[in-house]
Amino acid sequence: MQTTGLTVRKRIATLFFLFTLGFILLGSRVFWVQFVRGAELSEKALQNRMRDVPVESKRGIIYDRNGRELAISVSADSVYAIPAEVCRSGKERETAKKLAQILDMDEDQLYQRLTRVSSFEWIKRQIEPEKSKLIRNMELSGIGLTEESRRYYPKGTLASHVLGISGIDNTGLEGIDYYYNDLVGGTKGRIIIEHDAVNRPIPEATHKFIPPVDGANLILTIDETIQYITERELDRVFKERKAKSAAAIVMDPATGEILALSSRPTYNPNSFSDYPVSNRRNFAINDVYEPGSTMKITTAAMALEEKVVNAESRFFCPGYIKVGVETIGCPDKKPHGSMTFAEAIEKSCNVAFVQIGQKIGMENYYKYLNAFGFGKITGIDLPGEAAGITVPKERAQQIDLATMAMGQSNAVTAIQLITAVSAVANEGKMMKPHMVKQVVDNNGKVIKKIEPQLVKQVISPDVAKELCVMLEGEVTNGTGRQAYLEGYRIAGKTGTAQKVGPDGKYMSNENVVSFIGFAPSNNPHLVAIVVVDAPKGSLIFGGWIAAPAFKEIVKDVFHYWEIPMYNSAEIEETKEKVDKILVPDLVNLPLSEALSLINSRGLKAKINGSGNIVWQQTPKASSKIDRGAQVIIDMSPLEPKKGGEITIPDLQGKSIKEVAKILADLGLHLVPDGYGLAYEQSPVAGKIVSNGSVIKVKFQPVGE
Amino acid sequence: MDIKRLKFIDRPFLMVLFILIAFGLVVLTSASLSVSSDSYFYLKKQVLFILLGSIAAVMVMRYDYTQLKRYCYIFYGCSILLLILVLVLGQELRGTTGWIGIGPFPLVQPAEFTKVFIILSFAEFLNQRKGMLNTLGDMMPCLLFMGIPFVLILMQPDLGTALVYIAVTVVMMFAAGANPGILLRMMIGAVLFIALILFLHFQFGMWLPLEDYQIKRLTVFINPYEDGQGGRGSGWNTIQSLIAIGSGGLTGKGLFNGTQVQLNFLPEHHTDFIYAVIGEELGFLGAAFLIIMYGVFIIRAVYISFNAKDLYGSLMVLGITAMWLFHVFESIGMSIGLMPITGIPLPFISYGGSSMITNLMAVGLILSVNIRGKKIVF
Repeated sequence: MQTTGLTVRKRIATLFFLFTLGFILLGSRVFWVQFVRGAELSEKALQNRMRDVPVESKRGIIYDRNGRELAISVSADSVYAIPAEVCRSGKERETAKKLAQILDMDEDQLYQRLTRVSSFEWIKRQIEPEKSKLIRNMELSGIGLTEESRRYYPKGTLASHVLGISGIDNTGLEGIDYYYNDLVGGTKGRIIIEHDAVNRPIPEATHKFIPPVDGANLILTIDETIQYITERELDRVFKERKAKSAAAIVMDPATGEILALSSRPTYNPNSFSDYPVSNRRNFAINDVYEPGSTMKITTAAMALEEKVVNAESRFFCPGYIKVGVETIGCPDKKPHGSMTFAEAIEKSCNVAFVQIGQKIGMENYYKYLNAFGFGKITGIDLPGEAAGITVPKERAQQIDLATMAMGQSNAVTAIQLITAVSAVANEGKMMKPHMVKQVVDNNGKVIKKIEPQLVKQVISPDVAKELCVMLEGEVTNGTGRQAYLEGYRIAGKTGTAQKVGPDGKYMSNENVVSFIGFAPSNNPHLVAIVVVDAPKGSLIFGGWIAAPAFKEIVKDVFHYWEIPMYNSAEIEETKEKVDKILVPDLVNLPLSEALSLINSRGLKAKINGSGNIVWQQTPKASSKIDRGAQVIIDMSPLEPKKGGEITIPDLQGKSIKEVAKILADLGLHLVPDGYGLAYEQSPVAGKIVSNGSVIKVKFQPVGE
Repeated sequence: MDIKRLKFIDRPFLMVLFILIAFGLVVLTSASLSVSSDSYFYLKKQVLFILLGSIAAVMVMRYDYTQLKRYCYIFYGCSILLLILVLVLGQELRGTTGWIGIGPFPLVQPAEFTKVFIILSFAEFLNQRKGMLNTLGDMMPCLLFMGIPFVLILMQPDLGTALVYIAVTVVMMFAAGANPGILLRMMIGAVLFIALILFLHFQFGMWLPLEDYQIKRLTVFINPYEDGQGGRGSGWNTIQSLIAIGSGGLTGKGLFNGTQVQLNFLPEHHTDFIYAVIGEELGFLGAAFLIIMYGVFIIRAVYISFNAKDLYGSLMVLGITAMWLFHVFESIGMSIGLMPITGIPLPFISYGGSSMITNLMAVGLILSVNIRGKKIVF
């Protein structure tokens, strides 16, 4: 072999190794593309050839706590075409003509769409059921129907802020519908059409319909009836007082379940675009206000819990108090004089509460402010909850402590305040407020149950009970008298607070008035708050605007719940024991009515004098006497002057007793409304009426 | 021809060849399904080409290759003439003028056939200079010899085939004993030269005989989404090919089920991109199997060259091997984003008459060397 042959052989061997190396390189690269990048590239292969047409899922139904539908999904068929299949059938013209007739569309335009180079065309969405049936029966090739659904709120504006809205793409945009969108929304279905590279659908190929998965149904804590009652009262006060906004919440203190929640102004979620966007703000959750005197409930709770006061602790109010250089006064600097702690709550005395705040001290005050949940969200299952604003502790001065104690300086949301006060009503246990009780699927199976959640034992049960009694006094004797409801024990607190204007100073012309209370106070079934922002008219006080609304809500809810009245309960009780009977109030009743009342209770009547109207009774109303005992009725002592005309005197500023005496002397009948001093009468003074006419007089308590 | 020599035939080489051809026919059946209205149109033609090629191979094998030395300059001259003819009369198909039609005969690609003839003549050219390839001056005539067909093919323009000439030249010269240092320096120099030209072109707008889109096509494989059209322009082929292979996974989507292929997302899938069809429909198993088969095939060919009875035979076999090797690298490489898209067929697999017949003729040449090689007796 020549020497060159050896060289050649060596070189060939070298090439052999180089070639082998090259093949290993190729193999590794293939391995990398197929395994390392496999998933990513498979996804791309899918994207390459699949075109998706979404099919809306049916949103879950939202029920109230009794299973009444508040939000439902209505579905309608939508017509689509797969142009390639239409063309394959060779009946494009015919199909266009038939569809145009049924759907009331332009035939030529329709023809164009049926023959378009496209994989999928919507012909018409959400058509009437009769039309969809017609189209279905014709079995046109390449034409399909798919069910699409849309949110509908059958109760209109009722609970609009709770339920929220859903957009055209069937997703929740606000309220519960937004908050629980993942649960309620379900999963969109799809029509998948496979394409080739030039976008022609493949007739026999994958052409799948993946049905949507319907959303789960929600059972709210809301009671439709209570929601209705609440909204009715809120509407009334909102319209009468031409307020800027208003909110009312009714909550079960034992569980934290929201029974009703409403804000004003409102909107209809079915046509939300017809209303200003600002109407969709949920005042009860999204906005803060300075609570004013309603906050004194928590201040009082702190003071009792820390034992810096007791019910008998005495306070003196000279009408104002100096804190540093500032002076804080009671309304009009009117002195309340000497009073007990309980009376201070009844009178809502600012001076006393400044002193109470000082006794609690800065450190403790903040401890409880935090414990009651102020300055942070309650975590209610509604979107956009505001956290409220508290004076930062490190910056707080004595004047801040003083104003916070009486309810200014801090800003709260209605939901925060009702949650805090619920703790007082629930033996000191603060429950997390929530809107949803259960999540159930379409077969009624419970998917998720929301149990009541204890946030914190804020104050001891004894302190809570003691405070309940004092707050009851506030309603029976104090500024909250307008909330007094005969037959039920009601506890509560009024609030009237100045608003902070855009310049950071308090505005003189706008107030936020509120009432928060619970009933029955010995065993609260509900806590309710009514807040009215910037009401107009006279007597801008929480006791005059919010308290009556509260009273009406409680009254109707208790009727709805069939909670026995306090008195009748006591009658039952006494009947069993000693068979004593409560004497009814007969004064001012016509004789016939008075007699039937007496007879119905198993009593006897003895009538003195003559006339149509009862003037006096013995024994007095509410006293207890034996069954069959006698009630002496004195008829109107003044003989009504036949056809006599009487000029109505001015009753302004007189007490009920004085008014009653004057009118009785004149032979007129008094229908009193409220307590305190007379401020309004109907008919007005100077008007001439006939003998025996009815005069309505409204009374107001002095100060707040 | 001495019939006894047939017992020396390299059986593994032939077996792998049969496997490659059979595998190719199976894949082509699926790959050409959606190309023509007659689903088996391409398959039938390919079978015809294989028959023609086999006849040619047997004929070539029977012929003593050493006799070919005598005609090598005639082959060379005819090849050059043919390539010039193509430039003048050629018909444009798929962006190049590499096709020529004579009367009723179908279009052929002379560049395919000339490859083998040029290798034949270059083997003799080197054979005559054995042991005299030590200086740059010694090597210049060789470079000129291969440079002429290279430039002619580049003018078609058919960069893929032109690059094959470079690979063939380097491998054959290296095996023939050329100074490896100079060879290496020349290769590095060429790469730097191309880089410099491209740099000057893009930075200073120096004129090049290539259109911008052609340059773009060559460089876009590095980042196919940066083609100025978000992957819908010159990067499209690379992207679709990568998607096809990448979505194949271990076992692939099955024959006739490759979505990239059957829905025509993958271009030229029965010719240049047939490897992507294998990757998508037969998965990594199919793709790796083919690479291993090519590996065995090429290495058997190298072994044949190793045992050739003379340098001429060795060089001829190595040149053909280098040609196949480069085809395999380039065709598979461009499918997996490793090489620029130049569009050359995968030997024995891609559809194409010129290519199949040429390659089978080349097999005939190799076998001719094989059966006349040394029988190693210990």
